[in-house]
Formats: sequence, structure tokens, C-alpha cells
Amino acid sequence: MSISTLAAGAAADAAAPAPRPRIRRRRPSVTPYLFLFPGFVLFVVTVVYPIVQAVQMSLYDWRIIGSATSEFLGLDNYARALGDEHFWLSFGNTAFYLVATIPPQIVLGLLIALLLHARSPIRPLLRVLYYLPVVTSWVVVSLLFRFLFADQGLINWALGSTGLTGGDTSWLGDRWTGMLAISALGVWKGIGWSMMIFLAALQGVPQPLMEAATVDGANAWQRFRAVTLPAIRAAMAFVTVMLVIGAFNVFISVYLMTGGGPAGRTDVLLTYMYRLAFGDLEFGYGSAIAVILTLIVLVLSLAQLRLFRDRDGVAR
Amino acid sequence: MKRPTRILAASAAAAAIALIAAGCSAGDGGDSGGDITLTFWGSYGNGGNSAQQDVLESTLIPAFEKAHPGVHVEYLDVPYDDLLQKLTTSAAGDELPDLVRADLGWVPRFADLGVLVPLSKEMDDFQELADATYPGVLATNLWKGEYYGLPLDTNTRVLISNPAALQATGRTEPPATFADFQKMASELSGTGITLFADGGLGAWNLMPWIWSGGGDITDADVTKSSGYLDSAANVKTLQMLVDLYKAGQIGNGIVGNEGAVSTSEGLPGGNYATILDGPWMTGIWAGQFPDFAPVYSPVPAGDGGSISVVGGEDIVLTASSKHQKEAMEFIRFTQSEEFQLALVPTGQLSVITALGEKQVALDPKLEIFTKQLETARNRLAIPNASEVDTILNTELVPAFEGTISAKEALANAAEKIDELLAS
Repeated sequence: MSISTLAAGAAADAAAPAPRPRIRRRRPSVTPYLFLFPGFVLFVVTVVYPIVQAVQMSLYDWRIIGSATSEFLGLDNYARALGDEHFWLSFGNTAFYLVATIPPQIVLGLLIALLLHARSPIRPLLRVLYYLPVVTSWVVVSLLFRFLFADQGLINWALGSTGLTGGDTSWLGDRWTGMLAISALGVWKGIGWSMMIFLAALQGVPQPLMEAATVDGANAWQRFRAVTLPAIRAAMAFVTVMLVIGAFNVFISVYLMTGGGPAGRTDVLLTYMYRLAFGDLEFGYGSAIAVILTLIVLVLSLAQLRLFRDRDGVAR
Repeated sequence: MKRPTRILAASAAAAAIALIAAGCSAGDGGDSGGDITLTFWGSYGNGGNSAQQDVLESTLIPAFEKAHPGVHVEYLDVPYDDLLQKLTTSAAGDELPDLVRADLGWVPRFADLGVLVPLSKEMDDFQELADATYPGVLATNLWKGEYYGLPLDTNTRVLISNPAALQATGRTEPPATFADFQKMASELSGTGITLFADGGLGAWNLMPWIWSGGGDITDADVTKSSGYLDSAANVKTLQMLVDLYKAGQIGNGIVGNEGAVSTSEGLPGGNYATILDGPWMTGIWAGQFPDFAPVYSPVPAGDGGSISVVGGEDIVLTASSKHQKEAMEFIRFTQSEEFQLALVPTGQLSVITALGEKQVALDPKLEIFTKQLETARNRLAIPNASEVDTILNTELVPAFEGTISAKEALANAAEKIDELLAS
């Protein structure tokens, strides 16, 4: 329909050369920009400016007082980070948290989403219950988990009374058990969020395809692998990217559950950075770590998006 | 269509200008009609236990305002955990108040940043006021030859014992010496009670042991730690603590386990026999454990005697204050008997030596603390004192875990402190 109509229209235009210019608006309307302006200003002031400032600070031995002169160090702060054992320890702990929390959040989140996708009268109630940890304050649940994992806490009591352990584990008194406790909180609090995203994505799985697969004799696992998973690939990419960003930003739970201790062994990148900046006033070095963190997250996010996009391309 | 857009845009611009104007005027200090308002930040509220803040706001500030017509004091209470960060960001933004009740560990840091007034230089009667205070407490204000504040209130740590634990060992008195302390550990064996507990190995926790053991952390000029922190006296002291830890007689909170039973609960709860803590604990236990009757005694004495660590707050004047004369008047008021004694019943120890007896008369429980203060010493008064805490907390833990010796741990810490002092 459209090609012939357009051709006819073009011919008509050529046949009757009307006075041209008036129809075209040379000046675009300012109205959309006016609406964009407040948001843009907010973005520049609260996001762009701090990032630029952090990059600038990372190149100096930054003195926080405006009147004081900060010494320019070039990339020294970055070199210091690469040779700083505690930076690598914090990086290792962040990586541990990432590996320990993301797969369970995806697998369990998807599993619960699949279960809740089935029609049931209590489905809304279950959705709320699973989502409740997500909207609960990080501070409250971090303190709660600190008490649960305390030497005389509920976890030790439960493990001791069932005979699984002697009930005398100092969970928060050792690097790996401490990180495990922090990761447990991360998983518990995050499952509801990934479940909600997967639940929304499951609504978009094409039913005719599912029915066709059933008719072809595919069992539940085959249907899940061949129909459901490809259909929710975009959601999977989104959840993975967001969880990776979230894992690198873990702070409150570590700060409140172990305080980075004992002896700084459960420090993650953000708690180390915070201590450097606000505890030791090393804003330059702290900013360098912040910039490194941003670059890591950026590279990982781009790599993941690329990975998911490539697979999409092959699928098509 | 255009007109409403323009009207909208104009209204938005007007609103923005109004907001900016309002924001500007809010930061002006609010002086009106020739009156002066001094802004004062502190943590008297103690996160909810408002007894001190009540005395300050309902008794002391009104008394000052009455004696100084036209001068108002606006007190802003900031939770202690947030105050350092707020002061740091306010210093960066040049938004500090006139006066700050600063933790004594923060004074060199802010003096080094150049945001404080050297009171020893600017107040004519500074020496007279300084001479009236405890030397250990006054020293917390010293930075590069000038005093940047005056002591406001003080405290120190003493040994606090659970009477039931003392009874379990057949004692009537708490351990008075290191040797007695170690002996009590063996007496407690099998009772299920741990001899001692603390919440870390920072200077606040460790220095009473180090000083009482006859050692120190650096030389007198604070230029070197190697040869001082890893001295034979300190190795002996740390070894005592490590041995007690390995024997299960010191709780693992000391190595930074946040899951350990806290000292404030573990002592009245019977988990721990003794702790080192300050005068504020009395008030905390009175509310939570009304039947608990703690026994206060001096820090156990070693080869160096019984020496504890000074805590508390100083009052400092910011360089950005526009009302320095009036602010100095308020500082003088804080050193008065009226101000100092009014806060004693709320658990604050006076910084004025001559008020010691009156203080004990007001609250007899403060006697041990007042006595301990006479010899109590200050931690390193350097801008990066928090890094010293981090070093001690990090480097000494391996000795408790048995992976390195006490001597090696102290030498490692000394080496790091040397680097810090050199920078």
C-alpha cells in the first residue's frame, strides 16, 4: 500500500510546485528541551559532576579544604592501588561476593518465578512475601543478620542443637565464614528482585510455541530449555548485569555485619574506599579506587551485554 | 499553545530563583536585630540518652545567654558516628559552625587542615585556663606547638569487674597487678567465665596495657615507633595478652569478631569477669541490668604502674567563625565550675583538676575514674591517628592467632607506624 501511495504523492508534488519553505519548520520547538532541562541539570549536577570531580581528585594528593594546595600526582594513586595488598584483598572479597551471590539469585529467583507463574489463589500473597526482603531496609536486615550469625546467635544454636556443628563457629570472626554470612544476606535480600523481573518476563513467553512444543512431545525440562529460556534472554541479561553492578557496590551489609574485620579481612572495595576517604582523609587514593571500580563495572557490563547480544544474533 | 509554555517556564524560573534565595539566606547564620547567634555542634544527645543534651539546652546555654545579652547559642546535636563525616564534608564546603565539641582524637586532624583557631595564640587568658586542666587531657589539643582547643569533658577507662566472677574465684578485690590478673585467669578455669574482654586492639584498647607494662608506642617526639613499640616491655605485655587469649581467657572480640558477645552485655551477663571501660557504663547498666553492681578498680599495674588512656571531648573554635570574640566567651564559660559540675551527674568527668573532690562528692562512683585520670595519658596526637588504630588492629591479630610471634607482630606494626610518621 505504502509504496504506490508515496509514489503518487511524490508525483503530485513534482507536478504542482507549491510554495515550499513555509511547511518545513526550521526552528525546532524548545518545549521538549524545557521538559528535559530539569532532569538533565539534575543528572549533570548529581552524576556527571561528581564523576568528573572524582577523576580529578584521583590524580592528586587531594586536600579537602578549598584553600589548601593539592599536590598533583599523575597516576601515582593508581599505581599505588595495583601494589596495595589490601586493595587486592578487598577486590578478592568483592569477587567472592559476586560469585557467591549472583548464581543463587538467578537460579533461585527463576525457580520461584516459575513456581509462582502457575495460577494459584495464594499467588499474590507469595509474591509479596518473596518481595518483602527487597523493600526492607539494608540497615535493619544487616543488623538482624549480624545477630543471627553472632557467636551466640540463632544459626549457631540451630547448627549446634541439630548436631551439624559444635555450635561454636565464630562466623564473623574469620574472613571466609564472614564473607559467607554477608553473601547469605545478599542472596536472601536479592532473590525477590530477580524473581519479580523473571516473573514479568515469563508473561511474555509465547504460549502457541509452548503448546506446539507440548504437542511435539517435549517434556517440561525441554520446554523450559528450548522455549522459556530463549524467550527470557533479555531479562536474563538485564538481571545479570544489574546483579554484577550490585555486587561491586556491596557496602552496608559489610560495614554493619563485620565492619571489614577482623583485621580488615572482610573489607570489600567500597568499605576500603570509604575508610580511606572518611577515616584517613585519603580522598585522592580513595577516588582512584572509585574510578578503578567504575572501570571494572563498565567493562564487565559491556562484556555481558555483548555476550548476550551475540548469542541473540546466532539464535536469529 | 505557546503562552502556557512560557508561563510555565517563567513560573519554574521564578520558583528556582526563590528556592536559591531561600537556600542562601538559610546559610547566613540567622542574626537579626544586632543579636549574634553562635552555632555549636556536638554529640551530647548520645544517640537517644539525652540527659546531657537536656542539661546543656535547658540549663547551661540559657545561663550563658542570660549573662551575655544579645548572644544566642544554637546547639545542633549530631550522632557521634556521623559527626566526623559531617565535620569533614563541612570543612571541605566551608560550612563549619562557630564551635565544635570534637572528640579529642580529631583536634590535630582539623588543626592540620587549617580550619581551627590556635587558642593558645588568640586567647589572652589561655594559659590560665589551660593550667587548670589535667595535663593528659590538655595535651590532646596540642598540634605543632599551639593548642587548638580546650578540654571540655573527659573520661578514662578503669577495670570493671563482675562481683559474681570475683566471688567464683574467692576474691574480695579485683586484680590489682598484671601478675594478679594472670593468677585470676587460672582461678577462673572451669567456671565458664572468661577473664577479660575488649572490642579491638586500637590505641584506646591497647594503650592502657602498653603504658602500664612500662612501654610506649613511639619516642617522646613522636618521630619513630621502631625500637619503642617492639620494645622488650611491650613484647612481654603483648605476650601476656596472647597467652591469655590462647588459654580462652580473653574473648575473641579483641581480634575484631563482631559476633562476639559485647563487653556491655557480657560483663553483667556473667560471660566475662572483667572489662576496661568508661564512666558512662554505669548509666547504661542502670537501665538494662538494674540488679548489676559492678566493681570499679584501677587498671591492673605492671612495671610502669597503673596508667590508663584519656578520652573525652575538646571544644574548638573554627577559623571561619564570624563571631570569634563571643565564641571565646562561650569557651571560657565551658571551663567554669558551673558548666563543669552541671554535667557530672550525667556521667561526664570534669576536666578541671581542682573540681575532682566536688565531683566525687556529687557522684561517689566517679572516685576511681578521677584518681585514674591523674596518671592517664593521651594517645598519639597526630592528624592520622585513625591509621594507627588500623595498623594496630591489623598487625597484632596474627600474634593472637599464633601465626607470628608477639615480637614480630609489634615490629611489623612499628614499621608501618614509622612510615606513617615519616609521611
